[in-house]
Amino acid sequence: MPAMHRFLPRSLLGQMLLAVALALLAAQTLSAVLIYRADHQRREAALISSLAFQLVADPRFEFRDGRRNGREGRRKVRIERALESPIHDGDLHDPEREAALRDVLIAQDVAIGELVVFSRKVTADSYVMRGRAGSLSGREGRWSLDGEVLLAGLKRAGNDEWLVARVPRPEHSTRALGGLILQTLLLYIALVGGLAFLLRRITRPLAALTERMSRFAGRADGVEPLEPSGPEDTRALIAAHNEMEARIAALLDEKDVMLGAIGHDLKTPLAALRVRIESVDDETERAKMAGTIEDITHSLDDILSLARVGHAKDPLERTDLAALVSAVVEEYEDLGEPVELGDTMRIALPLRATWMRRALRNLIDNALRYGGTAEVSLSRDNGYAAVCVTDNGPGIPEGEIAAMFEPFARGEVSRNRSTGGAGLGLTLARAIAEQHGGSLSLANRVENGRKVGLAAELRLPHGS
Amino acid sequence: MNDQPTRLLLVDDEASLREPLADYLSRQGFLVEQASDAAKARAALLDSTPDLVLLDIMMPGEDGISLCRHLTESKDLPVIFLTARGEATDRIVGLEIGADDYVVKPFEPRELVARIRSVLRRATKAAGSVRASEALYAFDGWLLDPLKRRLTDPEGTVVPISSAEFRLLSAFLDHPRQVLDRDRLLDMVQGREAHLFDRAVDNQVSRLRRKMEADSRDPKLIQTVWGGGYRLACDVERVAPRKAEG
Repeated sequence: MPAMHRFLPRSLLGQMLLAVALALLAAQTLSAVLIYRADHQRREAALISSLAFQLVADPRFEFRDGRRNGREGRRKVRIERALESPIHDGDLHDPEREAALRDVLIAQDVAIGELVVFSRKVTADSYVMRGRAGSLSGREGRWSLDGEVLLAGLKRAGNDEWLVARVPRPEHSTRALGGLILQTLLLYIALVGGLAFLLRRITRPLAALTERMSRFAGRADGVEPLEPSGPEDTRALIAAHNEMEARIAALLDEKDVMLGAIGHDLKTPLAALRVRIESVDDETERAKMAGTIEDITHSLDDILSLARVGHAKDPLERTDLAALVSAVVEEYEDLGEPVELGDTMRIALPLRATWMRRALRNLIDNALRYGGTAEVSLSRDNGYAAVCVTDNGPGIPEGEIAAMFEPFARGEVSRNRSTGGAGLGLTLARAIAEQHGGSLSLANRVENGRKVGLAAELRLPHGS
Repeated sequence: MNDQPTRLLLVDDEASLREPLADYLSRQGFLVEQASDAAKARAALLDSTPDLVLLDIMMPGEDGISLCRHLTESKDLPVIFLTARGEATDRIVGLEIGADDYVVKPFEPRELVARIRSVLRRATKAAGSVRASEALYAFDGWLLDPLKRRLTDPEGTVVPISSAEFRLLSAFLDHPRQVLDRDRLLDMVQGREAHLFDRAVDNQVSRLRRKMEADSRDPKLIQTVWGGGYRLACDVERVAPRKAEG
């Protein structure tokens, strides 16, 4: 059964079309059978009445023929008079038609002595063959040589003579059946085609809605709401969706405004504090205070950024990633931090430079915090640009790597090192990588079976 | 200017920041006037014209951006934004409407002082020429937007540079085809982050070459001059930003 499912259509359009097509097929088959049967019965009735007509009407033709003095009437060819039963060996007795003919004759008050109905090949019928040979009739076209002839022999009660009537036995009306099937098929195709068109019209708004929703999920700003179209139900769905979309957009905007306000309200007092500590005379004390304020600011920025990372408003710009990486590394070098630039290569790809710098800084900060040093390299790998930040620290126990990406998670920090950062660094770096369609992974660096540090790899798709 | 103390107008609605900052700047030798909103700032401007305005963006009533437009259009006063917003787009908006620089709260007070001095230095040098800083530098297919600090290569790819590199490159671009020796370069690029720039000029030059030269061992753009210094080996044009972007 599961294998069957693969061949069933999945879309609404496909399923509706399949259901309707099956129903239509059943209905049309039924009606085609009925038509065929009615047609068949009509032919049979015509056949029987033709035989009956010949048998009943014949004496009058005989009479006329007599008056015309031996000139042979055209219809004479049909009627044969015989003294013996016309049925021979090799003839196919047809009891059904015989019964039907009997009913007709009885209805005409014919006194039946004996009645036989049977068929034989045209070539086996000497009477017809003779008629054809002598061109007795212009109607030899009726008798095709490979056809069969249906004969009816009647001996009236109290009469010794058999009257034998002939009609071409209808072929198994395959041509009629073929025509019927063709007609049914054409009608079927026209109906299903029309339905497909109509159904498409009904389901198209749904497809548009689906596309719209996935675009909205990817946060497409500034697109006009979708015009309600399609059947009433779909219209209602689209209208409801538009309402929801507007509400979500409003909520997001509200969130941005709120975050801006939070940022403002927290950063202003921090700025005041930062100015005030300038009056602290003890220089080491002042540096510590400044460091703390910087840490708070950094955390605040991470939190605000994380909340905004999903719908960054700045555009992607084609940027030289190598230059970006080295610009970030140089900032650390200038501050005297042990950050080194490893191998790089020129790779240009669409980026949001501000965000990417932040992701890199977070990775480098992390390496410095836990590993003491950092080396940054850039390489190309299978359609991806890979920025690798490695340190020589203790690494992370294998089981805890996934947990490192959780907000506010932290590796075991050595007590005397700076503990700045809210533990959002990796979460944000990963979110930024994902914002660019890439990924971030952490792995321990192992040499000779010993952990020698941690490697963070940020991969960005490098489309064309 | 050297005889008289520099006069600053500090506009910020937050007294908790404004007052200690004014104190700090006074101690640094500036003459500071304070205003708690845009209306008071406009009133203060009627009495006297400061040398530079420090402006908060987010203020109740008229915001800093609108006031800045007024200041730069009608008075051509140098403006430094004090902003709590961090997003790059906000920063660029601030610069596009004519501010000369910005600091993001919480800023280091010393850095603010360095930036004030740097903006004033530029303002006196460029006196008369109307906002020359808006025009882009075009050289050898490259473009440098001095406001956004945005360098693009001949193919239009953004090449990120650090602020030290930006200042060094600007120095070269302001003196195309001239030989600049190390002392002169150091002097020109010593700006707000002078303490960060005590590394050898040569180091910065080689960084720039790594980003801009096809082969940094055989530099075509920034050439070493035998016996002392460097030279930008191409012509520089100033182009209007709109034209270049469109």
